[in-house]
Amino acid sequence: MSKRYPTNGQIIFHVDMNSFYASVEMAFDPSLKGKPLAIAGNPEERRGIVVTSSYEARKYGVKTTMPVGEAIRLCPNLTVMRPNFQRYKQASREMFKILADVTPVIQPVSIDEGYMDVTLCADQGSPPEIAEAIQRRITEELDLPCSIGIAPNKFLAKMASDMKKPMGITILRKRDLATTLWPLPIEEMYGVGEKTAVKLRNLKIETIGDLAEADTWQLKHVLGINGERLQNRAKGIDSRPVDPDAVNEFKSIGTSTTLPYDTTQENEVRQVLRRLARKVSDRMDAKRVLAHNVQLTIRYHDRRTVTRSMQLQDYIGTADELFSISFSLFEEHWNQQPIRLLGITAQDLAEKKEITQQLDIFSYEKHAEKEKLYEAMNNLTDKYGKHMFPDLSSTSKSTQVSTSFQKDFLNDYKK
Amino acid sequence: MQTWTELKEIQPLAGQMLVNSFKKNRISHAYLFQGPEGTGKREASILFTKGLFCEQLDGAEPCHQCRNCIRIDSGNHPDVHWIEPDGQSIKKEQILHLQKEFTYTGMESNQKVYVVVDADKMTTNASNRLLKFLEEPTQQTTAMLLTENGQALLNTIRSRCQLLAFQPLPPHRLQQKLSSEGVSESNARLLSALTNDLTEALDMNKDEWFANARKLVIQLIEVLQSKPNEVLLFVNHQWMPHFKERDQMQQGLDLLVLWFQDLINQFVGREEEVVFVQEREKREQASMQWSRQTATDQLSHILEAKRKINQNVHPTLVMEQLTLYLKR
Amino acid sequence: MKFTIQREQLMESVQHVMKAISSRTTIPILTGMKLEATAEGVKLTGSDSDISIESFIPAEEDGIVYVEGIEPGSIVLQAKYFPDIVRKLPQSTVDIESDNRLNITIQSGSAEFHLNGQDAEEYPQLPQVHTDNSFELPIDLLKSLVRQTVFAVSSSETRPILTGVKVQLDEGELSFTATDSHRLASRKLKLENGNDQTSFSSVVIPGKSLTELNKILADTEDNIEISVTDNQVLFRTKHLFFLSRLLEGNYPETSRLIPEQSKTVVTMGAKELLNSVDRASLLARENRNNVVRLVTKEGREIEITGNSPEVGNVVEEVEADSVDGEDLKISFSAKYMMDALKAVDHDQVKVEFTGAMRPFLIRPIDDDQILQLILPVRTY
Repeated sequence: MSKRYPTNGQIIFHVDMNSFYASVEMAFDPSLKGKPLAIAGNPEERRGIVVTSSYEARKYGVKTTMPVGEAIRLCPNLTVMRPNFQRYKQASREMFKILADVTPVIQPVSIDEGYMDVTLCADQGSPPEIAEAIQRRITEELDLPCSIGIAPNKFLAKMASDMKKPMGITILRKRDLATTLWPLPIEEMYGVGEKTAVKLRNLKIETIGDLAEADTWQLKHVLGINGERLQNRAKGIDSRPVDPDAVNEFKSIGTSTTLPYDTTQENEVRQVLRRLARKVSDRMDAKRVLAHNVQLTIRYHDRRTVTRSMQLQDYIGTADELFSISFSLFEEHWNQQPIRLLGITAQDLAEKKEITQQLDIFSYEKHAEKEKLYEAMNNLTDKYGKHMFPDLSSTSKSTQVSTSFQKDFLNDYKK
Repeated sequence: MQTWTELKEIQPLAGQMLVNSFKKNRISHAYLFQGPEGTGKREASILFTKGLFCEQLDGAEPCHQCRNCIRIDSGNHPDVHWIEPDGQSIKKEQILHLQKEFTYTGMESNQKVYVVVDADKMTTNASNRLLKFLEEPTQQTTAMLLTENGQALLNTIRSRCQLLAFQPLPPHRLQQKLSSEGVSESNARLLSALTNDLTEALDMNKDEWFANARKLVIQLIEVLQSKPNEVLLFVNHQWMPHFKERDQMQQGLDLLVLWFQDLINQFVGREEEVVFVQEREKREQASMQWSRQTATDQLSHILEAKRKINQNVHPTLVMEQLTLYLKR
Repeated sequence: MKFTIQREQLMESVQHVMKAISSRTTIPILTGMKLEATAEGVKLTGSDSDISIESFIPAEEDGIVYVEGIEPGSIVLQAKYFPDIVRKLPQSTVDIESDNRLNITIQSGSAEFHLNGQDAEEYPQLPQVHTDNSFELPIDLLKSLVRQTVFAVSSSETRPILTGVKVQLDEGELSFTATDSHRLASRKLKLENGNDQTSFSSVVIPGKSLTELNKILADTEDNIEISVTDNQVLFRTKHLFFLSRLLEGNYPETSRLIPEQSKTVVTMGAKELLNSVDRASLLARENRNNVVRLVTKEGREIEITGNSPEVGNVVEEVEADSVDGEDLKISFSAKYMMDALKAVDHDQVKVEFTGAMRPFLIRPIDDDQILQLILPVRTY
């Protein structure tokens, strides 16, 4: 083990692309470099909203979510462009490929940031050397700026990458916390949103340092379990590992069963599929997710196994839906040979809270009947917060994830 | 085969059933024509399609002259759809095309026909899609599935079609038919032993390659009998250059099989079964040289050689090995 | 067959019928273009079997001679080369001749081309006009009927019948209806005199065909004649005939799905509503189905919110002309709303809601012939 590495503890990087969309546009069209640039939903409309802006634009006070008209008033020679999501995805994929050359232990978080665990990368140099090499490659190969935070855990790495932008490399050791992290106002702490900040300030917690020293019981009382978690973070404690599979979490939920004897009976198959569909549906409910794709596995008596899947128009989750889709897959692909095993996997999952469901003219009645109930739930949710009602069941048609990017593609760098 | 009468000569049962469905005006939504190659399935499907569209139908007989008959022959009838294997199989996309075709009304009327040739070559996916619309037939739509291997089709498809078995033509019927077409007695005999397809037999009769193949088989026997040491030379210089392709080689070996069958038939006194009627002299000579047991062994070596060709063993090797066995 | 024709007229007709010809057809003859000469003039036909276009060039019109020296006959020629040949011919007239061995000679000045033709008997027989089932209306009106409905057809093949527009004529009232099951667009039109005798049970015309028809028709007030047969519909202008096959199957009954009562009624400027929905949905452009939320506020205020997880909410406050009835919170697809508002094509609209989970209607304030219906979106 190298001397440069601590004998215990981990070394985590947080790589954060600087004003990513704007930087990608500049790399694509270098004539934009050095100019104030904003990416906005609809540049022709003065009331369009700035999604991101270059550092040159930020100097004039241009900010994210600012209407285009106001941005132009602040910075009259601002260039305003529509977003090109395909281009950003492509750049993101290339960026993660560069990280993957250093270590496979990468956890993409979003299109423009990710964690990596370089604890076992001593052969490639000291952590700052590795960070410099990454920053250099991303600059040279993709012409994109990034900031890297180096720390013993994810939270501190995230805070560190934020300290110097653009093109910073910041090391945040535990022994530096009192001088670098604790003086920061509480709003700057990652994980503290507007509402939480207000609650904390009510407790006279103004800085991250105040939080670290606050009364734990009181925090728990006000913020619940999250209070204790935040305080630990403020103390520099964060035990979450860098999890390369985090993107895959909930990616699929499946189950299969070997039949007691090989069968060619369609009604036996029906029964088995119904049972499997119910199991998968229950597990999906527990995780509050819906599926956009269903896969059926058939293993024949000779152990030959086929898997066939169907991409759906809508997100689905009920046992009935899972059953009818897997049965139609079965009808379409069964070659009439005796079957030994059947399996259903719900894939391409998304969290319910990110999903909206387009109602259908031929079936909306069943939702409309429950309208009063939903209304009451919504009112209570507005009052008491989102988790008031764990959804125990749902029927859905034409559902859609509404995030502007889905996380699926974050796996693409592995291809 | 231009008429039902002609078709009924080779397929009395299937032909009559199809004619009856016209006469009784009981056309099924789907038919499955199954039977070996050359038994008239395609011809029957064309006749049937013409029967549905012909403007001057006479009973069940189409005129072959009208605009519809002509366009069914040329493949230009817009409401008649032929699906044939694209390479090794019939793909999902081909069935999807059909599926779309059948959500639309017909172009000229609402009478529509689709014929799936080599229906057993549908992928499982394609079969199941086809099944979907066999289950929900639209009005005035008729399907004909043709196959040499009906067992390879999904049961669910078979059960939704009216099955028509196309029988192989009995050799003596074919031989008569060939003679009546002006084929020499000896050739008619040989050809009907090799195929049950009338058209194929007539083509072979005219084919120079086939005539030479026949000569080479006789020559090979001669070499085996009189100059066994030169047999490898003969194989390499004469035999192989003629039987270049695998199926050509198979045909050569088929002829050889017939010759040795003749020899065995002679041993057991069944002269009437002999195919190479003109080669009596060589056969008698051979029966002096080779015992009945030897001839049986030789026959099984030839069949073994045919198997090896099928398994893609190099043809020259197979042939060299075979002749070494035969000359013993 | 033989005739001499004005090159410019021929070129125009060729360009029209080429729109129907596709090289990816399974019927070989359809890669060709049919030419038919009669004493009245020359007719060109192209088809991809789904749609067919016929263009007629009269021998003489308004004293101008377009075609001369006609020896009647017909032939099918390869469509691949013909347009280029016609375009490049040097003179303003073209001689076209076919012999009985199906050889075609195209001559113009010193240029001479020889093509192999095919027998016109091989070409599909397109239905003739059935005057019983015909009616007329101005072209620009037909185009707006199509435009106001065809966008709502389904693009999915799971229910093929919904990929078409249902067209019905009942006691002189023509109606177009389209739905993809998430929204419905309908337009009615009382036909002018002389048409009220005609009626036919509904036909379903593929949306693709109508979109194509709208591209081909010029915006004029000339009349177009529409004839329906068992298996095709024919649109006929003076010199251009457009045919489309129909969709088979029963169109679902939709009239009972349209709510008759409402609980919340909003009236306001169509453009204002359109713009605020547009702005509220700006950030989530990447999504096919991006959802906005509409909430009635104090007085005539309406709040429209678009939610983008990356940058937060975009809130639009607009003032309606009137808001009557119960308070309402409802989410719907921004795209469907914008499509509907564009199709309504009136300055002032009335939006009638019956609850957050029920379809709502968008209509012009003073015109009940246009109706747009949208199913809301449920959020979790």
